[in-house]
Amino acid sequence: MNETESNPQGSTAAAGNWSNGIPPANVKLGRSTLLTGELAFKRFHSIEPDALVIGHGCTMDDVHFDLGKNGRLSVGDFCYFTYAVLLCELEIRIGNYVVIGWNTTITDTDFHPVAPAERIADALACSPLGKGRARPSVLKRPVIIEDDVWIGPNATILKGVRIGTGSWIEAGSVVTRDVPPRSRIMGNPAQTIGEVA
Amino acid sequence: MTSVRTLDWDWHPGTIPENVIVHDTAYVESTFSFNLYRSQQPGGVQYGRGASTYLGTMFDVGPHGRVKLGEFALVHGARIICDAEISIGDYALISWNVVLMDTYRLPANPRERRKELELVPARRPRFLTADVHARPIRIERNVWIGFDACILPGVTIGEGSIVGAKSVVIESVPPFTIVGGNPARVIRELDREERKLDG
Repeated sequence: MNETESNPQGSTAAAGNWSNGIPPANVKLGRSTLLTGELAFKRFHSIEPDALVIGHGCTMDDVHFDLGKNGRLSVGDFCYFTYAVLLCELEIRIGNYVVIGWNTTITDTDFHPVAPAERIADALACSPLGKGRARPSVLKRPVIIEDDVWIGPNATILKGVRIGTGSWIEAGSVVTRDVPPRSRIMGNPAQTIGEVA
Repeated sequence: MTSVRTLDWDWHPGTIPENVIVHDTAYVESTFSFNLYRSQQPGGVQYGRGASTYLGTMFDVGPHGRVKLGEFALVHGARIICDAEISIGDYALISWNVVLMDTYRLPANPRERRKELELVPARRPRFLTADVHARPIRIERNVWIGFDACILPGVTIGEGSIVGAKSVVIESVPPFTIVGGNPARVIRELDREERKLDG
């Protein structure tokens, strides 16, 4: 937030800026959109065209865009995220006017298989001795966050979840199921506690 | 604290803001904790005798906010989101990634929220400044808060109470009570023996 808003080399793909450098070529940032934080693309590995598309007027402070090889992430207009960790192996779609609080994680995958034998195979493949061994398949399901959703700090949004328009996700919630529009939810696992006025 | 507002041991090239009062015996690990600090109140943050804040503690304090750390209060990495008042009592122990928020910073109504979000991109820096009602938080003396817990606006944690790790506290906790869970519920009360202060 206290970073300067200039990008000395100019942005490649877009009108928006990343305060710490030039974003990867398959990133599009809309007008007046500002990203800050040196870790923004530290784990950005997507090779998809337009892997990350962010609309205009967004503020993304210290957000981690951790995209796997085929991850695709889109964010609408006028969103405001503070140190969100976005873990995307498949697809995360975020609408307009979405707010995400500090230290909230959104993931579209479990990263590892459920069956113990497959997890042994995964541990081996991921190890320094894995030597290119193929990893077993892992469950991935898109996450969709509709317009006007507010998500508090320290929350967790897990794979396959759709959060309906205007919903309010209280701080610290762990969201494992779909959330109907205009719901107020909280808890672990998150439950509906009311409606947005 | 002398008039020198830098810290010899600091890795961050910052200073302690003028209106922050640090007792001679208090310890500030890094001025990075004040990177989002913008309080205009006298004593916007006050450190009591022997109080300390460590890496990860962030004073995200708005122009009207005030934070008070009591004697020997130990804050090991809380995110302090304050637009009114957050007081932390003597001997309080607060763990890492704890969120203490006395405000939601944005209106609960989506239509009103849009208005504020549309104004943000023109601001330097891009802080949220909507007029949202903040409700002070009071952490009383001798309270212990576990890691990753969230304390929400208007909450008081009574003297000697314990908030378990990852709890989300939405309503006030009486003195000498252990709470846990999300949302937090009473687990048990400390018994008479446990409440003794002289051991």
